[in-house]
Amino acid sequence: MQEATFLILTALAAGSQHGYGIMSDVAQISNGRVRLRAGTLYSALDRLRLDGLISIDREEIVENRLRRYYRLTPEGSKELATEAARFQSNAASAIARLGVAGGMAR
Amino acid sequence: MTDTAALERGYRRWLRCYPKKFRREHEAEVLTVLMAGARAGQRRPEPMECLDLMSSALSMHLRPRVPRSNRSALNAIKLMYIGAVLELAVAIVILATVADLKSNVLTSSPSLTEGEWHAIVVGQLAPLDVGAILSVGVWLWMAWSIGRGHRWARIVFALFFALNISSLLNGLVHGSAVYARPDLAIAILLCLVELAAVTVLFRVKIAPSRSGANRNQPRVTRDADG
Repeated sequence: MQEATFLILTALAAGSQHGYGIMSDVAQISNGRVRLRAGTLYSALDRLRLDGLISIDREEIVENRLRRYYRLTPEGSKELATEAARFQSNAASAIARLGVAGGMAR
Repeated sequence: MTDTAALERGYRRWLRCYPKKFRREHEAEVLTVLMAGARAGQRRPEPMECLDLMSSALSMHLRPRVPRSNRSALNAIKLMYIGAVLELAVAIVILATVADLKSNVLTSSPSLTEGEWHAIVVGQLAPLDVGAILSVGVWLWMAWSIGRGHRWARIVFALFFALNISSLLNGLVHGSAVYARPDLAIAILLCLVELAAVTVLFRVKIAPSRSGANRNQPRVTRDADG
């Protein structure tokens, strides 16, 4: 799973969000390292919907503009949990090996 | 025209690059996000935004609309891409082995004149090479069509396979003595890939894409301030 996809799913893990909310949340989760643009975001959302990992929750009209909210599907939550566990396991292995080698790398 | 109106018009122009279906469903919300992310006083889309919108639109036009769970369809599409690469290799090999072919033809017909050889090149080799290049397009078109869930693509590809296999068999029966080995090897490999693709294709469950057919109907609410 690509990092942007992982971060989008993570942004939706806390609840449904609209496009701009996801973009802001992804920037916050990644400490500003990943800044999605609208084209990239909607390309990823389209792919995730096709794969059944997210779905449309609801729509709102705010100041005459459409906001569409997305949410994780049960498959999406499962996929995110699997991927997060994999990252955690890899990170734990890396940290343990760095520890064996004499501490954290500088 | 105000800054906002000019900017919105600029974004709408770039959003025309997207597939019609996507625009129908998502243009308004993408525009909301683009406008929300714009700088104060911005009058036109920035170059990086244009590049992002264009590359994303291109990807939506080209990429298969097949869910990851439909592995058979994805495998069939991969085989189509392999086929396109092999077909391109066939076109190159035909050009690269013209000299070998000429010496093979001369061995079997020592009295061959330059004029007769020229007639073989124009009448047989050039059409074969052009055919291989056109076939690259057919493979890519089939990959795209399967990726879009077009059922007719299976029939078209089966006919394409029948045509190619009969052409190979005809070549083996009538002219195998003069073919260069690389020509034969790559033609046989190509037919094996076609056979695999046909087999996978007829096992594929082609269904309309989920984004359109299986979409949840969202609730629409209007903000009190809106």
